[in-house]
Amino acid sequence: MTSLRWIGLIAMKDLRQEFRSGGRVIAMLAFAVLACFLFSFSLDRSRVDGLDVAAGLLWLTVLFSSIAGAGRTFDAEEDDGAFRHLLLAPVSRHAIYLGKAVANLVLVCLVAALAAAALTIFFGIAEPGSAAHHASVLFPGAIGLAAAGTFFGLISRHSTLGDSLLPVLTLPVLAPLISLGATASSRVFLGRPWAEIGGSVRLLWAIAIGLVVVGSLLFRYITEE
Amino acid sequence: MTLAGRALVCRYGPTKAVDGVDVDAAGNEVLAVFGPNGAGKTTLLKALSGERMPDEGQVLLDGRAVSSADPGWRARLGLVSHRTGLYLRLTVAENLRFFAAMYGLTAGSRAAVEALETVGAQDLAPVRTEALSRGQRQRVALARSLMHDPDILFLDEPFTGLDPAGAASLEAVLLARKSPGRIVVLVTHDLSRGLRLADRIMVMRRGRKVLEGRAGRFDPEGLLARFTDDPGEVA
Repeated sequence: MTSLRWIGLIAMKDLRQEFRSGGRVIAMLAFAVLACFLFSFSLDRSRVDGLDVAAGLLWLTVLFSSIAGAGRTFDAEEDDGAFRHLLLAPVSRHAIYLGKAVANLVLVCLVAALAAAALTIFFGIAEPGSAAHHASVLFPGAIGLAAAGTFFGLISRHSTLGDSLLPVLTLPVLAPLISLGATASSRVFLGRPWAEIGGSVRLLWAIAIGLVVVGSLLFRYITEE
Repeated sequence: MTLAGRALVCRYGPTKAVDGVDVDAAGNEVLAVFGPNGAGKTTLLKALSGERMPDEGQVLLDGRAVSSADPGWRARLGLVSHRTGLYLRLTVAENLRFFAAMYGLTAGSRAAVEALETVGAQDLAPVRTEALSRGQRQRVALARSLMHDPDILFLDEPFTGLDPAGAASLEAVLLARKSPGRIVVLVTHDLSRGLRLADRIMVMRRGRKVLEGRAGRFDPEGLLARFTDDPGEVA
């Protein structure tokens, strides 16, 4: 119960700061909309049907926007050395990691919802499939992205290479998640029944939970000097 | 109550930032650690607080080894450093309530108000932290560090950027905390202030302890000379 309370408080603290400053939230959302807008121009619409490519573009947009945001996950912690004091508090490292991952998850979900809507509009997709099915596919994907982004965000922060290291670390780890997610979303866009989608979603959940567990277990080691 | 470091060694790559240092701090006294830049003072403080695991040696509280992995140990510590450790986009009250919750204080709002009153900053509660001056932030940081009434208070260059009134206020709060059940470890460059506050002092240079003793035995000029002399005996 105490850990859940800590997780909630840390997530709320992070989100309050993010929405007050606006910088990271606006950057992630603007990136998502602009990427979708550019995709709609860059493809020859007379040869390419929006329904065939929307799922892949959706997941790539969410992936790159998440990576861009993940690099800023610890900005507020480092502004005036607050992270040192948070680590000194009698709070478990798991709770700190999960709290920050939950805050990232909220932002990734916002990006995913906006990107899905933008792609539907820009590609003129009249029947994009069930919104509930889209949410069921995107949510475990967002959990995996937030979990990996939070973990690698701190590693890149402590590296001399900084944010430039983040895509190099995250893309290989997230490749299976993106591949499965794009496949499942593609079936949702095409209006396939849930029986054809459920298997991929179960695998997405397995990957997402695995990333959360591994991130949570290893976080204490990257917070030690 | 006694806090001790035994044969502490902390390395950054091939460099020994702390090289076989023994340190003792007791209740009802302030231990001041002096030394030039790069002497290893802050690393020693991190090793004592558990922020950094020493590569060799151990930290003992009342003769028993302590570990930074133990939340019960961390709950007994407070830290004030030259960086305030506050979230700049939160208000002062939000910062204090957040840390009160992290320390498991059930009445976080009341603890925050009382801590701000202790440092004379109660009128700053609704102000966004980024709007505060350096001195005001440092007072709030002190309030945050005292809120859970820590047994052991670590101060890492706490006077940096404080105006004379702020520094005097901090001194008064520190002296008021002296009691048999409380230990204060102060790392500072400010020899005059450190000698005034401390009961015992220790000088470090190049990661080693070069001098220690009762504060009353030393004057600032004599201590300054030890920053550049060859390492002498441990007095």
